[in-house]
Amino acid sequence: MQQAGNNNKAFSLKTRIKRLKRDINKWSVFTLAIVFFLALPIIFIGVELFAGPGETWGHIVDYLLLDYIWNSLYLVLVCSILVLLLGVSSAWFVSRYDFLFRKQMEWLLILPLAIPSYIVGYAYAGFFDYGGSMDLLFRQLGLEFMRIDIMNRAGLAFVLSISLFPYVYVSARAFFLNQANNLLEASKMLGVGELKTFFKLMLPLARPAIVAGLVLVLMEVLNDYGAAKYYGVNTFTTGIFRSWFSLEEPQTAVYLSALLICFIFALILFEKWQVRKIKFTSSKTNSNQIQRKRPKGAMKWLIFSVVFLPILLGFILPVAQLIYWAVITASTVFDMEFIMISLQSFAIAIASAVITVFFALVLIYFSKWSTLTTIKNISRVGVLGYAIPGAVIAIGIMIPTLALDKWLINILGNFGIDSGLIINGTLLALFYAYAVRFLAVAYNPIDSTALKVDNSIPDSSKVLGVGNLKTFFKIDFPLIKTGVFSAVILVFIDVMKELPLTLILKPYHIDTLAVKAFEYASDEMVMEASIPSLFIIFTAMIPVIFLNKLLIKK
Amino acid sequence: MLTINALSKSFDKGKSYALENVTFNLKAGQVCAIVGESGSGKTTLVRLIAGLERPDNGSITMNEKVIASLDKFVQPEKRKIGLVFQEYALFPHLTILENVLYGISKVKNKKEKAQEMLDLVGLSGMEKRYPHQLSGGQQQRVALARALAPEPSLLILDEPFSNLDTMLRTQLRNEVFDIIKKTEVTVLFVTHDTQDALSVADEILILQKGKVIQKDVAENLYVKPNTLYVASLFGNTVHINKNLQNAFRCPLKEDCCHAIRNEKIIVSQSSTEADCEYITAAKVIKKIPLGNATQLVLKLESGEQLTVMTQDQNIADTIYVGFNSKDILEFDQEL
Amino acid sequence: MKKLILAIATISLVISCGKSKKNENTATEETTKEQVVNVYTHRHYEPDQNIFKMFEDKTGIKVKVINASADELIQKMKMEGKQSPADVLITVDAGRLSRAKDEGLLQSIESEVLEKNIPAHLQDVDNQWFGLTKRARIIAYAKDRVKPEDLSSYEALVDEKWKGKILVRSSANIYNQSLMASIIANDGEEAAKTWAEGIVANMARSPKGSDRDQVKAVVAGEGDIAIVNSYYIGKMLNSPDAEEVKTAQQIGLFFPNQEDRGTHINVSGAGVAKYAPNKENAIQFIEFLIGKEAQQVFTEANYEYPVLESVEPVKDIQAWGDFKEDTLGLNKLGENNKKAVLIFDAAGWK
Repeated sequence: MQQAGNNNKAFSLKTRIKRLKRDINKWSVFTLAIVFFLALPIIFIGVELFAGPGETWGHIVDYLLLDYIWNSLYLVLVCSILVLLLGVSSAWFVSRYDFLFRKQMEWLLILPLAIPSYIVGYAYAGFFDYGGSMDLLFRQLGLEFMRIDIMNRAGLAFVLSISLFPYVYVSARAFFLNQANNLLEASKMLGVGELKTFFKLMLPLARPAIVAGLVLVLMEVLNDYGAAKYYGVNTFTTGIFRSWFSLEEPQTAVYLSALLICFIFALILFEKWQVRKIKFTSSKTNSNQIQRKRPKGAMKWLIFSVVFLPILLGFILPVAQLIYWAVITASTVFDMEFIMISLQSFAIAIASAVITVFFALVLIYFSKWSTLTTIKNISRVGVLGYAIPGAVIAIGIMIPTLALDKWLINILGNFGIDSGLIINGTLLALFYAYAVRFLAVAYNPIDSTALKVDNSIPDSSKVLGVGNLKTFFKIDFPLIKTGVFSAVILVFIDVMKELPLTLILKPYHIDTLAVKAFEYASDEMVMEASIPSLFIIFTAMIPVIFLNKLLIKK
Repeated sequence: MLTINALSKSFDKGKSYALENVTFNLKAGQVCAIVGESGSGKTTLVRLIAGLERPDNGSITMNEKVIASLDKFVQPEKRKIGLVFQEYALFPHLTILENVLYGISKVKNKKEKAQEMLDLVGLSGMEKRYPHQLSGGQQQRVALARALAPEPSLLILDEPFSNLDTMLRTQLRNEVFDIIKKTEVTVLFVTHDTQDALSVADEILILQKGKVIQKDVAENLYVKPNTLYVASLFGNTVHINKNLQNAFRCPLKEDCCHAIRNEKIIVSQSSTEADCEYITAAKVIKKIPLGNATQLVLKLESGEQLTVMTQDQNIADTIYVGFNSKDILEFDQEL
Repeated sequence: MKKLILAIATISLVISCGKSKKNENTATEETTKEQVVNVYTHRHYEPDQNIFKMFEDKTGIKVKVINASADELIQKMKMEGKQSPADVLITVDAGRLSRAKDEGLLQSIESEVLEKNIPAHLQDVDNQWFGLTKRARIIAYAKDRVKPEDLSSYEALVDEKWKGKILVRSSANIYNQSLMASIIANDGEEAAKTWAEGIVANMARSPKGSDRDQVKAVVAGEGDIAIVNSYYIGKMLNSPDAEEVKTAQQIGLFFPNQEDRGTHINVSGAGVAKYAPNKENAIQFIEFLIGKEAQQVFTEANYEYPVLESVEPVKDIQAWGDFKEDTLGLNKLGENNKKAVLIFDAAGWK
């Protein structure tokens, strides 16, 4: 009885506060500060919600909301199916079989990631358009009536899937390569056939990895603006732009964003829930490599085509179309300035990737060191930016940075210094925005590699008298290196492609390739947009290939 | 040297306790084994002492200094405790030598010290190798060398042998403790294996469901166990429940729990031969030869079943079993 | 570890780079004496760069550009407030300029050059903004299927005979919004709504793509007529893609409402920002844009109608002939813009 009394006291308010005082350390404070810093734009948007919806909210609900919901659901559903078919089948075949050009195709399959999806959209529209290559081909064959109209909802789903499936491919393949061998052998020993092994064993096991990739795809799908606008499909994101800019009602846009965010949260919760249900994936990396089978006869060609098809559709066709356009417009568009802009884009992307990854590392490790469990949960809040459209984040960043700037100007003004805007309209604001937007992209690969490092390893270091920071540099970092570099590369690629945020926040006289491409495309000079687009693709391709090397080594 | 006072830890805000009101102390130079099943709170206790977890209540004092309490917490890196994990936790990207050097980077002649430690654990010549190139036993010895190098005042071994097979285990256990004896360090040795504990520990602490059941020297645990659970940890024990009591017609104190060790049950061919206070006849249902002895499954007159051991080779179908009151173990409560 | 050092080095490099940019920016403020003009523009046209270059060469004033959509630029200026570095705002439609005026982002300026050379209906009554180039929203028809005699006005397009024949892009497009705003101004809200519903009923397909895509769809036979901006036809006729040229050649141009108010036009225009740090340069800059040289480039490279009457439109445009333009004050476009969007939504014009 006495013991029970003692322990009741252990969780009385007084002792809790006492413990809180004991356990709050600098890491807790830092984590909170950083989470707050990263969530600030989102908080500012959230505050707008309390202002109530704008006048036109009723109008949106009456005429448009159903359309937004319906189209977004349609895209989520159709893209999920397509992306899973393309991503999982190709991942399985390249990790299980050996066939013609397998090694090359393994990294070619990641390349669609290097092309912004709106550019894929333009390329396909041009390809199937009246007077486009496909149309001309059909005319040659006397099949004029066969003109394929791609500019509709189904076409949009196709374009988004074909440019985003590598997210699923990459995570599924990593699973198949790292974890699968023992299980495959066990299954073989039990005399289970190839197909059954795949559907009954590998697919359920790989599910958390696949779903993690799928959630990334769906966030991108829901955030797409360029392609949806061009294809005339109303989605939440086009709706946000419409109510913000055409109806001049930021509050209404914020309400739509909030709805979209709920939608995305539902997806994230779904992922969490289903990963929790399946715990067996946390097993350590399996060191023995998968033994690849050599398919024969018709099977060989079937597998080859299944793997080649996504490369053809997601990379070769759009790039071919872009190259064709580039060739016919090169004389009017290309100049040395492109080299400069490419370098600028490259520098901005690499810098923001490093900064974003730095934030992700800090968040992951600081929250680990801050012994308060609540802090660990809070740190996840910093990742929400990925769920919010770039334009909305840009506005969310302008509000606080401008306030800060005005304050600084006042202070400096007292000293007789006319400083002008210090943060806004400079690279600092842009980097800040990228960090907020892409933290999740950096967080996930780092977090998942960090999970593979057994806690006892950093713990031993601490017991041996080495503090947190030094332990991180000497022990943790070397062990999670691949995750960190994957994160840098993924953010790099995303920044290279990013548009609405960059448009609003970029400083004077700094152009990025994406901005350049958009400028042309938005003025219906899709052909002229091909040259900056190709530059984006080639700049992003180099790290994509590098990323592939990392993943294989892992 | 180490004093644990009313230590409690819960991972679900007080709904259940991984450790509840644990109190004990450790003398310098002692080897104390902590024995308990998995889930008994052994690992939590170790992590609390090492500073890898923070207590919800109670305190830990080491060398007269409070290192953890409700309002004080000394970081693990400041505690000077050596810890060897079950999974060794060697740094996979560092060589053996670098692993051992890791904790003594500020020591003056660290190279010599590290070399000395490697010699001690018999791994000189392997300095340049990486952990994955070593066998499990070798890795364990590296982990030991690494933990001992900074000359900790307390060394904690958390289930250090459970990843090894039985043969290697006994051998390595003896080797490891030979090494440890040379260093005169105080040791807390966590294990779920009573044999491990009995063979090396000065004192044994029994942990069950987060509570300390008994802490004593080995003999006492055998002779005067606090609970039936402790008794059964150190040899097969028969619980004398109401039915057995009636079968043997032995009067026992109410509200207490009684047991008799298997080896104290006397088996004889006739009722007169047996020299014991309580006796009853039994039918042999099954004989299981175990080499040096035979296990008998008996059915008593009252219908109760009982398993006993005997050295006797010629067992009739009906025999007598009994025991003496001096051998009866008595516990306060049934636990 | 080495890589880490490398990473840190990169970060510090970048941050110092960011800092130097910052310095550059503060330098911008100081070099006001050193002559700059900061331009926020929605005109993403390559030839504009040449015009800016010409201005720099002529005056020695450096042109610094931020390119983004007018909506985003207006938001940006609103938020920057007094600290906004913007001197000039350029948009591709009058609606946004008058919105910027309503938001108090522009200022009235006095310039005889602008006053004299720009027709009254193409500039703001309070001299807050000025049209630079004109574009007409015309009807493009398939020469082989449609007789121009059958066409008359925007209003007449709701006729039964065009059922399933009309191609037009999404209502998210500002040119459609401006056209609707002009119809609201001319015919009233009720009539405008009926008109929108009539057009939706006659659409050949759900709205999508760009103006060029509408033209292509006409030639492909998806519909017979398309409502598009004039200069896109000019651009297509001069496209590097031979197929596009062929396509455009099969198209006829019709200027609607010649019998009454005239064809709906819009302007791309410029205004001086309320808090312009370089006001004088800004005025000089806008004056230059409506000067002969600049106007020449606008029409030659972009197939727009110059606002300066002394400049002849480029040959391709001349071939379409003169037309009567709607002289509705362009302020109306901004005033009615929101109403236009609401009507579009209600009528189901995507």
